[in-house]
Amino acid sequence: MENFPAFSPGALARLEEIKKKYPPGRAALMPALHVAQEDFGWLKPEALKAVAEYLELPEMTVRSTATFYSMYRHKKTGRNVIRLCTNVSCLVLGARTLKGILEGLYGLAPGNTSPDNRFSLEIADCIGACGSGPAMLVNDDLHTGLDAKKVIEVLENYK
Amino acid sequence: MISITINGRKIELEGPVTILEAARKNGIEIPTLCSHPALELWGGCRMCLVEIEKMPRLQTSCTVTAADGMTVYTETPRVVAARKAMLEFLLINHPLQCPTCDKAGECALQDLTVRYGAVAGRFEEGKRTFPENVDDPIIVRNMERCIMCTRCVRMCDSVQGASAIGVVGRGARSHVEPFSGGRYNCEYCGNCLNVCPVGAIMSRLHRYTYRPWQMDKAVKTVCSFCGVGCTMLLEVRGDAIQKVSPAFGKGVNNGLLCGRGMFGYGYVGSPERLKTPLVRKNGKLEPASWDETLAFAASRLLEIKNRHGGRAIGGMAGSRCTNEDNYVFQKFLRAGFGSNNIDSVARLGLLHAQGLLEGLFGQGAAANVITGIAGSDAVLTVACDPAQTNPVMGLQVRAAAKAGRKVVTIGHARGLRRHRTHSLPTVFGAEGVALAGLLKELLRMKKDSLPGENLELEAAIKEFKLPEPEETERLTGVPRAAISDAAAALKDVSTSSIIAGRELAASMDARRNFMLLAAIGYIINARFFLISERPNEQGLIDMGCAPDLLPGGRPVSLHTFRESYEREWGVKLNPEPGLTLMEMFEQAGDAVRAMYIMGENPAFNLPGGKKIMEALEKLDFLVVQDIFMTETASLADVVLPSKAWPEKEGTYTNLEKRIQKLDRALEKNGETAKEDWKILAGIGKHAGLNNMPYAASSDIIDELARVSPLHAGLRLKDLEQEGMMWPYKGKPLGMGGHVPLLPPMRTMAKAMTTDAQMPGPGPAVEITGVVLEIEKPLFHSGTLSRHSGALLDIVGGPEAKMSPETGKKLGITEGGKVKISTANGEMVLKAKIEKGLPAGVVFAGNNFREAGALGLFGYELEPESKTPVPMVKDLEITPL
Amino acid sequence: MTRYLLDVENPNLDGYEKAGGYQGLARALSMEPALIIEEVKKSGLRGRGGAGFPTGMKWTFAAGDPKFPKYIICNADEGEPGTFKDKAILEKNPHILIEGMAVAARALKAELGYIYLRGEYPKGKDILQAALKEARGKGYLGENIMGSGMRFDIHVHLGAGAYICGEETALINSLEGKRGQPRLKPPFPVNSGLWGRPTMVNNVETLANLPFIMRAGAAQYVKIGDPGCPGNKLFPVSGHVEKPGLYELPMGTTLREIIYGQAGGIKNGKRLKAVIPGGISAPVLPPDAIDCPMDFVSVQKQGSMLGSGGVMVFDNDTCIVRVAHRALEFFERESCGKCTPCREGTSWLRAILERIETRQGREGDLQLLEDVSRNIAGNTFCPLGDGAASAVLGFLRHFREEFEEHIKNGCPFGPDDHTRTVIAR
Repeated sequence: MENFPAFSPGALARLEEIKKKYPPGRAALMPALHVAQEDFGWLKPEALKAVAEYLELPEMTVRSTATFYSMYRHKKTGRNVIRLCTNVSCLVLGARTLKGILEGLYGLAPGNTSPDNRFSLEIADCIGACGSGPAMLVNDDLHTGLDAKKVIEVLENYK
Repeated sequence: MISITINGRKIELEGPVTILEAARKNGIEIPTLCSHPALELWGGCRMCLVEIEKMPRLQTSCTVTAADGMTVYTETPRVVAARKAMLEFLLINHPLQCPTCDKAGECALQDLTVRYGAVAGRFEEGKRTFPENVDDPIIVRNMERCIMCTRCVRMCDSVQGASAIGVVGRGARSHVEPFSGGRYNCEYCGNCLNVCPVGAIMSRLHRYTYRPWQMDKAVKTVCSFCGVGCTMLLEVRGDAIQKVSPAFGKGVNNGLLCGRGMFGYGYVGSPERLKTPLVRKNGKLEPASWDETLAFAASRLLEIKNRHGGRAIGGMAGSRCTNEDNYVFQKFLRAGFGSNNIDSVARLGLLHAQGLLEGLFGQGAAANVITGIAGSDAVLTVACDPAQTNPVMGLQVRAAAKAGRKVVTIGHARGLRRHRTHSLPTVFGAEGVALAGLLKELLRMKKDSLPGENLELEAAIKEFKLPEPEETERLTGVPRAAISDAAAALKDVSTSSIIAGRELAASMDARRNFMLLAAIGYIINARFFLISERPNEQGLIDMGCAPDLLPGGRPVSLHTFRESYEREWGVKLNPEPGLTLMEMFEQAGDAVRAMYIMGENPAFNLPGGKKIMEALEKLDFLVVQDIFMTETASLADVVLPSKAWPEKEGTYTNLEKRIQKLDRALEKNGETAKEDWKILAGIGKHAGLNNMPYAASSDIIDELARVSPLHAGLRLKDLEQEGMMWPYKGKPLGMGGHVPLLPPMRTMAKAMTTDAQMPGPGPAVEITGVVLEIEKPLFHSGTLSRHSGALLDIVGGPEAKMSPETGKKLGITEGGKVKISTANGEMVLKAKIEKGLPAGVVFAGNNFREAGALGLFGYELEPESKTPVPMVKDLEITPL
Repeated sequence: MTRYLLDVENPNLDGYEKAGGYQGLARALSMEPALIIEEVKKSGLRGRGGAGFPTGMKWTFAAGDPKFPKYIICNADEGEPGTFKDKAILEKNPHILIEGMAVAARALKAELGYIYLRGEYPKGKDILQAALKEARGKGYLGENIMGSGMRFDIHVHLGAGAYICGEETALINSLEGKRGQPRLKPPFPVNSGLWGRPTMVNNVETLANLPFIMRAGAAQYVKIGDPGCPGNKLFPVSGHVEKPGLYELPMGTTLREIIYGQAGGIKNGKRLKAVIPGGISAPVLPPDAIDCPMDFVSVQKQGSMLGSGGVMVFDNDTCIVRVAHRALEFFERESCGKCTPCREGTSWLRAILERIETRQGREGDLQLLEDVSRNIAGNTFCPLGDGAASAVLGFLRHFREEFEEHIKNGCPFGPDDHTRTVIAR
C-alpha cells in the first residue's frame, strides 16, 4: 500500500471506503474531491494533486472536473461558508436585501471572504427551499424564512 | 447501400457515415469548427447545422448518421441564418486582432466570417478578457480568441492520452489551461496547436515572423528523429523551415507527431552546422577546399589499403543517412576497398533482435504495420517504453488501452503508466525472466491447447524448462500473482502485438529472451515490432551495412548471392564477413588502421566511451562525415560537412520495413555541404573507382532495384503516396519452410534444466542496491536534439533522475549535485527527484555534451552476435 | 383524495411499513420482470422530471438491450429553481424511493443503482444513507431481497453544484467523474449509459410512484387524476402566496385550485400578476391563464410547460424585469459551455437584461433580446439553452410594456439595493 501523506488519516479512511463503491479510475473523483475539500479546506493545487495521485489520474483531469462544479472551492474560504439563494423565488421575497446586509455588516461580497476570515459568501442558485424563502445554507445547515433580523441572529451562531 | 439526397443530389453511401462525411466525400462543403477527423464526435460549435426533411429542428451534420432516404439541405436561408447566428455568438467575445494574429490567413473563424458575411456589431457589452499567456517556452495561449471547440483538449485527452490540458471553469467563463495555468507539463506533441482552428493556441517558435500566405511551400516528407517514420509537412519560407505541420490522414502517423518531430527541427538552421571540409594539419583541423579534401582522403585510404590490405579499413554507416547514402557507403568499402568491415548502431541490438526473430519465423517477421497495434486484442511491451522512444507508435498502444484492450508491460514503460491493464515492473535486465514466468503461466492455463499451426515449434516450447513461479518472483521482483493475471489476460486473445526493446537483445541471454518471446508470440498470435531509435536504422540493415550481409539481407559468404552484386559492381567481392562494430574499435591501430564514419558519433553514443575515444586516436586515419562537430569528428583527420535531412532527397526505411521518400525542402541552406553519397562517390572518383557514376539519388535506387533481389523492381515513384511495405515487389530471402534457429532452440530448451541458468539482474551491476540506467527521454535523442533550441527550452540540460526513496537512500535532494563514477569515468549531474520512477535506479541520459552517461558504461560482447552488452563496474553515486 | 407520495408520519422504515411500504416490491418480486414493465405501461406513468416521457416505454428500451450489467440511476439532482419536491421525498419518505428503485431493478434485472443527489442537499444524504442501512438490515436491499434471490444495492453519489446534471447524460458523465456536460444522443442511456452499459435514469418522483402502482395495481392508478396522464403530482408552490409549500394533487388540477384553493391565494391581499407554472425554464403565464389544468398537454397549449411543476407566483408589485434578469443570471451561470449558442447567448441575454434593469436600456434592446433568444432556441445541444430562450421570450410576450417602461423611465417599482449599487457604480 502506497503512502499518501497529503491526506489526514480520517480522510484517507473515507477515501478507501469511496474506492470500494466505484469501479477503478475516474468514477470516484467527485466524492474524493468532496473529501479533499473538507480535508484541505479548499481545493488548492496540493489538494488536487493529492487526489490525482490517490486515484492515479492526470492532474489536469482532476482540475478540469473540479472547476466545473460550483460547490468545489478554488480559493481559500473563511471558517463558515454561506450559500445565500437569490434565485427568483427568494429574490421576490427580499433576498437581495439580505445580500446587502451581509455586505454591509460583514464586508462580504459574493465570492469573497470577510476580513476577519469568519464568513465566505457564495450566491446560490436555488437550494430547494423556495417554499420557505429567502433561504441560505451555512456550511451544511439550512436556514429558511430569513429576513433582515433573522439572518443576523442566525449568523451570530457561527463564529 | 444507403441512399440520401443532399441539396437535391442523390448520393449513394457504402456504409453508415455522418451527413458531414457524406457531403464532403461528394464535394459539398459544410462548415465546421469543433469536428476533426482524428477526434470523436462532439457537436458543440453548431456551425454545421443543416435542414433534414421531417426533422423540425436543424441538425448538426457532424453527428447525425445518414439514414436511407434522408433528404438534407445544407444552405437554405434557414440554415444560413442559423450559421450567421452562431458566427455572431462566436464573435461577440472574439477580439478583432486579425491584423496582428499569426493565425490570420489560415483561421477557420476568419474564413467563415468572410464566407457568411460579417455581422453588424450588435454586441455592446464588454468582451471577455484573458491575458495572453507566454509562461511556456514553446506554446502561447490567447484564451480571448478561444471559441471553446475543445479540439485541443480532446486531442490531448483521447488521442495523445496525455491529459495535460483541460477546460477550466464552466459556461462562458470556461477556458483551456495546463494544470499550472502557465507552463505546460506535457509531452509537447503540439497536437493541441495543430488542431486549434483559431489563434488561441500557437507555437512560439515562429511567432510574428511571417504571415501564412507568405509561405513559399509546404513539403511533405518523413521525420528525421526515430524509426517510426512519421509523415510531416515542412513549411518553408526564405529557405528556412518556419514550422512543421501535421499531414492528417497521411502516413503511419495519420497527422500525429511527437515533440521531437514537431519542434525539433531547429538543428537544421543551427549556426553550428559544419560548412567547409576540414583537414587536420599540424594537429589542428583546418578548412580546406572540397576537391583538395576529397583527393586527400582518397589518397590516404588507398595508401592504407595498399600497405595493410582493404580489411584494415572499417566503416560505420549512418542511421540518419538515407538508404541511398548507406547503399553507396557499403559499396564504397566493399567494391572500392575490398572490406566487409561495415557496421552500424543496428549492432546495439536491433540487428540481433531481428536476426533471432527472422531465424524462427522467416524474413520479415517484424515487418508489421504500426497502425495495426491499436486494433489488437492485446499489446505486450517488453524492455521498452514505446511512448518515449518511438512516441507515435506509443500512441497506438495508448489507443488500444483506450479501446479497452489488454496492455501488458514488462519492465519500465512510464509513458504507458496510465495506459495499461497489467504492469510487470521487473528489475532491470530481468525482463527475460518475466517472459519465462509468463510463458510458464500461459502454458499452464492453455494446458495442451496450443494453436497447432507449427508443431515443430510447439514441441520445442513444450520442452522448455521454465522457472517455478517463486523463482520468477525472486529474480524479477514481480509478484507471481501479477504474472499470473497478465497471463490470464493474454491467454485467449485472437490477435496481439508485441513490442520489444533492443535491451532484450543487448543481453547475454538474448537468444533465450527471443526464444521465450517467440514462444509467447506464437501462442498469443502476435505481430512483432522492434523499437528503433533512429530514422533509418532498419535501412542500414537492408542496405547491407553489416559485415555479413549484402543489400537485401543476402549473406555475403554465399556465392549465389555475391555473384549478382559482383556482376553489377564489376569487381570481385571479399566472401569473408568483416568485423562487427565493437570489434573494429577493439582492433583499432592493430588490424584496423583507418575508419570511415558517416553521420555517427560513436565516441558519445556507444558504451565504453573512453575506450572508443582511445581507439579512434589509435587509428592511422579517421574520416568523419557529419553535420556538426561531434566528439567523434573532433578526433578525425578529415571532416566532411554533409547535408541535413531536409536538404536532400532519398529514402528511409522505418521499423515496419516501409520505404518512404524524403523530399528536398531547402535549396540553399547547407549549400556548402554535400550529400553523403556524393561525398563518397567523390572520394571514390579520386581513388579511381569508376562504378559510382550517380547523377542523382534516384540513380542509386535504380541500381539497388537491379542488384538487390529484395528491392527488385522498386521505383521511386511507387513511394510517392504512402511509401511501400516490405517485401516491396521483390523477393524476401526464402526459408523454404526451414526455420534455421529451431534446432538450436530445442537444444537450448533441453539445456534449460536448472533455474540457476536463468539470467539474474543486470546489465547494470548492483552496487549498494542502486543501479545506473540510461534514460531515453522523449525530448532528446542523441546529438541532434542538443542543437534544437526548442527542445533545449523544454529540457535544458542533463539530469540524474531518481525516485524520492532512491534519493533518500543516497542522501540526494532535488536540484542538488550528484557525482556518478564508474570504472569508465565520472560525471556530475543535477539531481531530479521524480515520483513514479522505480526504486533503486538512477537514470541518466546520453544527450548532452560532457554528460553522456553511456560513457560510464563498459560492455561485454554477446558471443554469437557481438552485440555489446552494457555493463557498469565500480558504480558509486554520491551527493556533492 | 388518495395521497401516496408523502403520506407517512416519519421517514423511518417502521413508519413506511405501516403505510403499506415494500408491499409493492413484494408483489413485484412475485412477478416476471416483463410483467412489471407491462404493469407500468398500463399505469400510464409519465416521467416527473420535466419531459414527461412515458416511463414504461423507456423501460422497454432498456430491457430490450441484451447487454448486462444494467444500472438504475435515480435522478435526485433537483436543481430547477422553484422546485423542492424531490427533496421532500428524499428527506421525508426516503423508503418510497428505495422501494421504487428496487422495483425498477427487478423489472430491468439491474443489480446496482445510484442516487445522484444534488450537492446542495447534504442533509438528504444523511437521511438516505440511514434509510439504505435500514433497508439492507431488513432485506429490502442486498444479496437476497425478501428471500427472492434478487440482488440489488444502492449507492448515493453527491453532486457538487451543477444544474445541467439534471440532464440525464450530463448526470451520467458526472457520475463517471467527468465534467457534467451532456452527451450526444444516440446512443441513449437505455443502451449505452453509465460506463457504456444500459442505464435507466428516472426522476425521484417518478420512482416514488412505482410502489403505489405495484401495490394497488395499474387499474387503480389510472383512476387518479387526468386519464391521459394519471397519478398524483407534487406541486411546489413558492413566491407571493399565503401558504407556500408542497402539495400532492392529482395531475390536471388547475393552477387556480393550486394557488387559491390550496396555497391560500395571493399574500397580503394583493393581486396575481404572473405565474411560472413549472420551474424557471417554463415560460411565464399571465393571470388569465390560471384555469389551465396542470398536466403536460394543457400547459403546453398555453405556451409554457409543466416542467417540474414548480409553481412560482408573483404579485402585482413584482418587477418582471428583475425576475427575468435573475433568471438569466441563473442560466448564464449554469450553462455548461459545450455549445456556442447557449454559452455565448445566455451571457449576452443576461448582459442586456442587466442593463435594462439598471436603467441603461436602449432602444432596440427588446428586439435584440428577441433575436438573440430566437438564435438560441432550437439550435442548442441540450434543452438548457432552449429553456433560457423561451423564458425570455415568455417574459417579453406577456410583459413587453413593462420592459419598455424600464428602458424609458427606469423601474416603476423602485430600484432595490442591487439596482442602486449598480447605478451608483
